[in-house]
Amino acid sequence: MIRFENTSVTYPGGVNALRDVTLDLAAGQLVIIVGLSGAGKSTLIRAINGLVPITGGDVVVDGQSVRRANPKQLRQLRSRIGMIFQTFNLVKRTSVLNNVLMGRLHNTSTLRSLVGWYRPDDVEIAMQALERVDIVEKAYVRASNLSGGQQQRVGIARALAQQPKIILADEPVASLDPPTSHVVLRDIQRINRELGITTIVNLHFLDLAKVYGERIIGLRAGELVYDGSAAQADENVFREIYGRSLTADDVLEAAPVI
Amino acid sequence: MTAAAPARARPVRPARSLFVPLAVVGFMVVSWWSLSSEFGIGFDLGELIENITRGARILYRDNPINPADRGLLNPNWAFLASTVEPMIETFQMAVIAAVVGCGLALPISFVASRVTAPGRATLFGVRGVLSVVRAIPDILYALVFVAAVGIGPLPGILALVLFNIGVVAKLMSETIDGVDPGPIEAAQASGANRTQTVRWSVLPQVLPHYVAYSLYTFELNIRASTVLGIVGAGGIGRILYREYARFNWSNVSVIIVELFVFVFVIEVVSIWLRRRLV
Repeated sequence: MIRFENTSVTYPGGVNALRDVTLDLAAGQLVIIVGLSGAGKSTLIRAINGLVPITGGDVVVDGQSVRRANPKQLRQLRSRIGMIFQTFNLVKRTSVLNNVLMGRLHNTSTLRSLVGWYRPDDVEIAMQALERVDIVEKAYVRASNLSGGQQQRVGIARALAQQPKIILADEPVASLDPPTSHVVLRDIQRINRELGITTIVNLHFLDLAKVYGERIIGLRAGELVYDGSAAQADENVFREIYGRSLTADDVLEAAPVI
Repeated sequence: MTAAAPARARPVRPARSLFVPLAVVGFMVVSWWSLSSEFGIGFDLGELIENITRGARILYRDNPINPADRGLLNPNWAFLASTVEPMIETFQMAVIAAVVGCGLALPISFVASRVTAPGRATLFGVRGVLSVVRAIPDILYALVFVAAVGIGPLPGILALVLFNIGVVAKLMSETIDGVDPGPIEAAQASGANRTQTVRWSVLPQVLPHYVAYSLYTFELNIRASTVLGIVGAGGIGRILYREYARFNWSNVSVIIVELFVFVFVIEVVSIWLRRRLV
């Protein structure tokens, strides 16, 4: 489904965020990427939908090379990949439904989208996406009037409205409190299982990674240092990924699960 | 046990920049140069006090050139009726110019913003043209258009349209520069094209600002009309200049009061509108 082939990303400032990563992510999996801040988690996820420029090797998604895609191919590729963000990235000044309908823009002509004349089918898809994250009653509420957890569920609905094959989640719970974090991660897990959407999630809390991940990938300074099942990932593995002993700051709950 | 803090080198204080003291000195030199009677305009406080009594003549009667005039402090309300028509003309000119100018400025501002421009060449090209448009004063536009299309409200409207494009496109492009980039990334990640991204990620964020700027330019248009009339570009300015040239200060006074009330009402209405829309 997603293949990293010796992928490297070097930013214009000279920061080497991803170094020679080779990875194969199978369809339908729920993969969790762990690592410290600056380890390259966000870069890895954004290399999949071409939001960062790949400077070495390539990423192949669903048979399409990300590095060699022209603008149109890239837009088509992105339309099949939903994305969830740490800061939700909703347009706060407009309604929840308008935010979710953003996921249907790829299927709407420029002229129609300019006047906001979405097809009834697309509105129906957006409503169903809101139902799936149990927030459809807020469809006509301004996004700014929602709590953080509700906003993130709208973010998930926006990704779902694309009817994607892949969902990328970049630190989806880093701005949320612990109980809400579990709600959002359970939503993501349920979507992965029910719809069979390949899901890649960045997390920095190790206990959450072990609870929700099938497969865990560890990054350290832009390099792949661990790739294995969640069950095998014990304290020694995390020490290897973090390059130090674990502290209470590395887990979400006060008492460490691992 | 009293353990000393670990010895760690403290940062060295960086050298102070001379920019601020030099800027202050430069500002003082330019001010002195402008004021001095030798190099500058020779502003003199004594001259001001000496002549203030002469200015007082236009405030109330005692007009040596036009004995019939009763001065600025005695508005001739009988004159009000003859200002109604040109005042309505000014209002109509301001509305048309604001609608056309602000309408054209919106798409231009998206091309003139770093965030939404399709490329660096277009960005700097459009910004350059906008700088030129803004550098030319509205009165000069009016002069050119009066020469081109003749006396009347049309050259005034054309001048105001260019003036409004310059103001609104500049303010809007800077507002767009400062939008939250998160929703833009979200739209791009969903496979939306440039136009769709602008429409659904950027426009909702800047729309209240656009309304505010448009109402502000409308207010500017009313004020500008006083000057545009001087060169024959229609509106209340034509009457204002005529009465001024005849030293009818009590008639000028009526127009000033009228403009004040007019601008004040627009201000109140636009505050109310903005509160409802934001």
